[in-house]
Amino acid sequence: MQIFTIVRRFALLILSMVISTGFLFAQEKTITGKVTAEGEGPLPGVNVTVQGTTTGAITDVNGTYKLTVPGPAAVLVYSSIGYVNKAVTVGTQTVIDVTLQTEVLGLQEVVVTGYTSQRRRDLTGSIGVVQPAELTAVPTGNVTNALQGRTSGVVVTGNGQPNSTAKVRIRGFSSFENNDPLYIVDGVPTQDIASMNPNDIESISVLKDAGAASIYGSRASNGVVIVTTKKGSKGTNITYSMYIGSQDPGKGPDNLLNTQEYADLQWLVYKNDKTSPYVLDEDGNPTTTKVENPIYGWIGNANPEIPEWHANTNWYDAITRSALIQNHDLSLSGGSDNAKFFAALGVRQQDGIVIYTNQNKYTVRFNSEFTFLNSHVKFGENFTATYSTNLGVSNLQEGSPISIVYREQPIIPVKWTGPDLVGLSHTFTAGDWGGTGIIGNLGNVSNPVANLTRAKDNKYWDMRIIGSTYIDVKIIQGLNFRSTVGGTLYNGYGVGYTFITYENSENQLSNSLRENAYYGGDWVITNTLTLDKTFGQHKILAVGGYEAVKYGIGRDMDASRGNYFTDDPLYRTLDNGAQINSANSNAYTPTTLVSEFLRADYSFMDRYMLSATVRRDGSSRFGADNRYGVFPSFSAGWRISDESFFQGISFINDLKIRGSWGTMGNQLAVSPTNQYYAYGGSPGTSFYDIGGAVTSATQGFRPTRIGNPNAKWETNETMDFGFETTFMNNKIGIKLDWYSKKTKDLLFAPELPGTAGSADAPYVNIAAMSNTGVDAELSFKDKWGDLGFDGSFVFTTYTNNIDKIAEGVPFFDYGSGTTRLGSNNRNQVGHPMSAFFGYKVISLFQESEFHTEDIDGVTTLVENEGVPVQDGAAPGLFKYADTDGDGEITPADRQFIGNPNPKFTYGVNLTFTYKNFDLTAFLYGSYGNDIFNSNRYFIDFWPSFQGQKSKDLLYNSWTTDRPNATVPMASNTSNFSTNTQICSYYIEKGSYARLKNLQLGYTIPENISSKINIKSLRVYVQGVNLFTVTKYSGLDPELGGDDRAFGSDTGNYPEVKQYIFGLTLNF
Amino acid sequence: MLAIIGIWSSCKQDFLNVPATGSLDEGLLQSTKGLDALVVGAYSMIDGVADLPFSWTPGGGIWETTASNWVWGSIRGMEANKGTDGGDQPEINPIQTYSETATNYYVNDKWREVYEAISRCNSIIMVATKALDGGKITQDQADNYIMQARALRGWYHFEAWRMWEKIPYMDETTDPATVTNTEDVRPQIIADMTEGTKLPLNAGEIGKFNKTVCQVLLAKALMQMNHDYAGALTLLNEAKTGQKPDGGAIGLAPTYGEIFAIENRNDIESVYTVQYSINDGSGAINAGSGEVLNFPYKSGASPGGCCGFFDPTQEFVNSFRTVGGLPLLDNTYNSDPVKNDYGLVANATAPGASGVVESDPDFTPDQGALDPRLDWSVGRRGIPYWDWGLHTGADWIRDQTYSGPWSPKKQVYKKSQEGKLTDITSWTSGYTANGYRMIRYADVLLLLAECEIEAGSLDNARGYINQIRARAANSAGWVKMPDGTFAANYQIAQYTTAFPDKAYAEKALYMERKLELGQEGHRWFDLNRWGITVNELKRVLAYEKTMPWGDKLYGSATITDKAKWYPIPQRQIDLSNGKLEQNPALK
Repeated sequence: MQIFTIVRRFALLILSMVISTGFLFAQEKTITGKVTAEGEGPLPGVNVTVQGTTTGAITDVNGTYKLTVPGPAAVLVYSSIGYVNKAVTVGTQTVIDVTLQTEVLGLQEVVVTGYTSQRRRDLTGSIGVVQPAELTAVPTGNVTNALQGRTSGVVVTGNGQPNSTAKVRIRGFSSFENNDPLYIVDGVPTQDIASMNPNDIESISVLKDAGAASIYGSRASNGVVIVTTKKGSKGTNITYSMYIGSQDPGKGPDNLLNTQEYADLQWLVYKNDKTSPYVLDEDGNPTTTKVENPIYGWIGNANPEIPEWHANTNWYDAITRSALIQNHDLSLSGGSDNAKFFAALGVRQQDGIVIYTNQNKYTVRFNSEFTFLNSHVKFGENFTATYSTNLGVSNLQEGSPISIVYREQPIIPVKWTGPDLVGLSHTFTAGDWGGTGIIGNLGNVSNPVANLTRAKDNKYWDMRIIGSTYIDVKIIQGLNFRSTVGGTLYNGYGVGYTFITYENSENQLSNSLRENAYYGGDWVITNTLTLDKTFGQHKILAVGGYEAVKYGIGRDMDASRGNYFTDDPLYRTLDNGAQINSANSNAYTPTTLVSEFLRADYSFMDRYMLSATVRRDGSSRFGADNRYGVFPSFSAGWRISDESFFQGISFINDLKIRGSWGTMGNQLAVSPTNQYYAYGGSPGTSFYDIGGAVTSATQGFRPTRIGNPNAKWETNETMDFGFETTFMNNKIGIKLDWYSKKTKDLLFAPELPGTAGSADAPYVNIAAMSNTGVDAELSFKDKWGDLGFDGSFVFTTYTNNIDKIAEGVPFFDYGSGTTRLGSNNRNQVGHPMSAFFGYKVISLFQESEFHTEDIDGVTTLVENEGVPVQDGAAPGLFKYADTDGDGEITPADRQFIGNPNPKFTYGVNLTFTYKNFDLTAFLYGSYGNDIFNSNRYFIDFWPSFQGQKSKDLLYNSWTTDRPNATVPMASNTSNFSTNTQICSYYIEKGSYARLKNLQLGYTIPENISSKINIKSLRVYVQGVNLFTVTKYSGLDPELGGDDRAFGSDTGNYPEVKQYIFGLTLNF
Repeated sequence: MLAIIGIWSSCKQDFLNVPATGSLDEGLLQSTKGLDALVVGAYSMIDGVADLPFSWTPGGGIWETTASNWVWGSIRGMEANKGTDGGDQPEINPIQTYSETATNYYVNDKWREVYEAISRCNSIIMVATKALDGGKITQDQADNYIMQARALRGWYHFEAWRMWEKIPYMDETTDPATVTNTEDVRPQIIADMTEGTKLPLNAGEIGKFNKTVCQVLLAKALMQMNHDYAGALTLLNEAKTGQKPDGGAIGLAPTYGEIFAIENRNDIESVYTVQYSINDGSGAINAGSGEVLNFPYKSGASPGGCCGFFDPTQEFVNSFRTVGGLPLLDNTYNSDPVKNDYGLVANATAPGASGVVESDPDFTPDQGALDPRLDWSVGRRGIPYWDWGLHTGADWIRDQTYSGPWSPKKQVYKKSQEGKLTDITSWTSGYTANGYRMIRYADVLLLLAECEIEAGSLDNARGYINQIRARAANSAGWVKMPDGTFAANYQIAQYTTAFPDKAYAEKALYMERKLELGQEGHRWFDLNRWGITVNELKRVLAYEKTMPWGDKLYGSATITDKAKWYPIPQRQIDLSNGKLEQNPALK
């Protein structure tokens, strides 16, 4: 009932305003005139109003108008979409002809909003817009990457891998479980826009506040991204665009040792630890008598000796290459008044800088629209299909190739060059892969080049279709009924083969093949009724509708067999494996959603704007009692610059303030099965060989889930205040928003006590979180003779705070940014998501802080009076802060040591045009975020596995001669004071600024291109990621990861430099 | 259009009811078929390993929770050390240096594993009760399901008790949110385990508990928790002539070493063996994954391929020294240590610093008198290692300077079994069908001997101990060189004269358990039962610290009374909102 009450009140409000303000005329003088557009002729539909009053008129098809004004002091304001407003004082004139200039800063542009579109100047909600040119400026195949730095309030984090999808976060985080925005592609909701061809996109609107987004109700809380694809237009237009280029992996980490240095480090460790594989003489120098057989021997007082078989491998160089990128798009657009179409074909190939990795992507699109029955009915469809093949690698994991670069010793050859050697794992002959199996103490890493080479025949395919059809019926002028049916469908397949290995210290002893396949999809039916009417000075845009959605339909399967007779790629089918390893499948539990919604935007005199939205959603994810949620919002805008008191302020052309309040929901945080208790079983979790069969286990069951039928919507309450202004002859535009977003009833699955068993704990509505921030955009556009300039600055901040987790749960640790140190991210009440938590290193211990004592007959190093007691404390090792001052370092002394959330992110876009040349630069940056550099665990501590080590450990580590070093002593000691604890040693500043794009283009002069029968031809050269300014020591400071545990670098696949040549050709 | 909307509204409720796919609700399990599967699910935890997210490692809770207790029983009891290198599984480091804190995740994982097992037992009881109420199973069937569930529940609780002592007892009605750990739960544990002794002698399947198994387990619990030797004696005397769960006979296997061969896992010696299955679709989780780290470290040329954990201590090895065929009960064996190859280049050809193969240094294994069981319990250089050839020394060890020169052996498979009785679906062959011998017949006899000593019947005790020694003395089961000669100077004899007093008998018994059941996860629990944990471990630690690797391995480790229990996991105390308390002995 609530919904109808709200609607009724709103309708009454509108009605009362119409009655009270619609007929307030004063009559003194009649003005006529004609409005033309610069270089275009008469302009119909122009609003002509008397400033400061409600009097107004609209120009007819010939651009003429007639209007009565109060007197000579009256000022007429001419406004029309796409043109700069113009104000003229009446004076003695009775005929006023004006010419309007084309709008520069897009204030009049039409913005696609929830279920409708509006002029930007009418907006009361906070909406960001990304232009198509911006989407294709950086040569990415993935729309998510293209969003980075293009609109305020949106933080995008990606990596350099060809098939990667960037993480998109709108205004911070509002859930522990899922913060992905809702994507709507031509009216079809989808979780995935990665497969789309950026070249097909006409516009992207990002709905940020409740005023804009809450019409999507229960799915809007993480923001909504509305994607509209290109439509056909009259005439024929053929465009071919392409680019081709090279990606440069760069030099890789610059702080790793070569083989000689590694040997030196080994001997530094011996020296520091007072150990040696040789008997030492009186001076502590090694004699020739061995006590064990080291890899690196000692040849007197000179350098350590390196075995003859050694290599000096730079593993980054070994796994990377200069890689090709190319892209071709062909689009055909055309039509008549009654039939229009847009068709496009895209081919894209990107090889990864990691050897053998690649992505190939093929997209087709066909959009069409037919108008008939005297323009009363429109029927259309949008369709796109993508087929892609991927061969990628894991990222931000200990075993991923980039991570192995930090972990494999340089002495190990990529390939053995002979002579034969009876190694630890295998007899190595020339041509064999090299590896940690050559001799003991080379560590446990596997040869990444061997792994990648063996994996080159693995294949992963994916096919996706997104499409919709619609019918739009104009019932009467301004009242349209529209029905849309759409959906997505996807299907994929993968084949991966595991080889027997011989070259490593830990080898794979059997081969196997794994195949997996999946399909899935979703559909939506939407019916809307739209009223778009102007009554004099009153403009009403209202839309109401019903929607039904079913999503998350699908199944997947994977199976594996082992013991293959041959590794021949042609032999790789499941049935050829002698041994069944596994055979599994999943059926997804889909979610259904039924919704009613209503929105009304009212504007009076183009100056006072009000908007109200309400949506009621019912979702199958919740039990019957909590299934429905109602999400209202209100917003208002006031164009101050049109008020009479603003007349004197001529340098401000337009100023609008606006505000909104509303609620939005989120249901993605919870599994569709959360409401049900369940039992189940799998071989690994609950089967047992109760009959002693040896090669099979009997099926058994266990409780798998504790259900919660009472879970309900996460709700967030959002407030937004902002203003938009243009000034200095519309050359400068500023848009600024402040927002506050509070999520309550946040779904969280508190860990149950162990005594409850290990069935999945249910999600309950218990937590709370808030975000505040400022989004700002500044733009400037001008032209000086032949030199044109267009610049914009996009600025995003969010401050995230966890307000509550659960009763008695002040925090939870999450993730394994460091697989060896445990969870380094703590999500705690009063702190932002994913903050780093551990011991704070205040310095390294110095010898002066210790004395020796005789304890049980053993001479023991003891901390001096006043030095807190710390396990493993010794000179040259970490000295942790005694936070609680109890004189002892305990877990209670841990504190927050870093925050991966940036203070702000920004994008700067600069475009210069001079005659036929254009130059574009795009800079993106992040400021104030910390990084947990997990790689240091491996390379800055000798006992953190016998892998690669850092130059710092050799040259800058603590010794008695280098007491002021910050890198701990090179020692084989592994304890609380060295490498077993999470501490601030790993924290680094993660701020960076990156030149994402620098592009120089030249458009062939029309007089030349027309001779060869083409409309236009532009060629360009481009450099991508040409430089990154950062203090961060790792490969790339741009780090993604789970929202509860991000900002850790465990070998990140870097964004790399690209050098591109491209052209765009129009026929 | 209105009509469409009308139809829509009426369909809406149905449209929004989406049942869960791919899982079972409780109603579907209220049948003998469903309950049988729940019972299997409860037994599946007996290996201590399930692919569940116990800890921060995905699918964590493997080696720290496994039934063989190699960390909790053997390493903590100082018959083995962690092995490998310092940075690998560092949570074990404090456990072997008696300095683990309540936040050590190994302790938490073990806790969660045991209580997951208990919750499965309770789900059997709940579903069986409902099935009975609903007339879907008979009273007899319900009784049998509940009896099995209680037997298992008792055992799992006992496992928890001997780790932590102050544990909450969970039955099918206990609320996990309010349960405390301050009460004495031993009566409930004994009641549950006693219920198991009513099970039939033949349980029908080798992997189930039967009367005999439950009698032995109850006896163990009575001895460990209550020092109730008289009660245990009665149970063990009956169990001694019992059966395996599948009805097979039990007794001592004729020779010692072959007990640990995979093919003999369900042989006569096996009162209860945890069944490991290979290539069963579990991704090797059921294939002894808890012991997968515990193999020598020379990929391809020695068994398993990974990971060099669980290396016996020198002190343990020395214990096998015999004089006149008898062990040195006064621990003087440490003054004549068994010779090791620490610091020597391996016997296999290995490239030296100059890149060329160096000549092998001579190494002759220990020539002194040794108990033949040593070479089935420990891998040592120059001695045949199943059919893998002679142990070649340092190149089978991941890092001698950290873990010493000895290798584990009892869970290792034969070379001829690779790929046949080892799993091939995962990354190493260390996943095997070599089920953990949870109760060996020798264990039953030694428990009996222990009870007899307490009862004052020293001669009976001597008889049992001699039975064990006689079996070990069967030279058919001694390790032999390829030429058929014995691999070492094996000398073993029985105690031919009466034990002079109870103290001597105890020493003989303690030593016999160490020699016979070494590396099988019992040691620390035994020391606790005998009440000698602190003194004995202090003695061993002092000795091990003098080893060349001792400093690195044990550092400044000291032993206090806290070594007798593991801390209640801090995570569990936190999650209980103060209902659970730390064991006062550890505060």
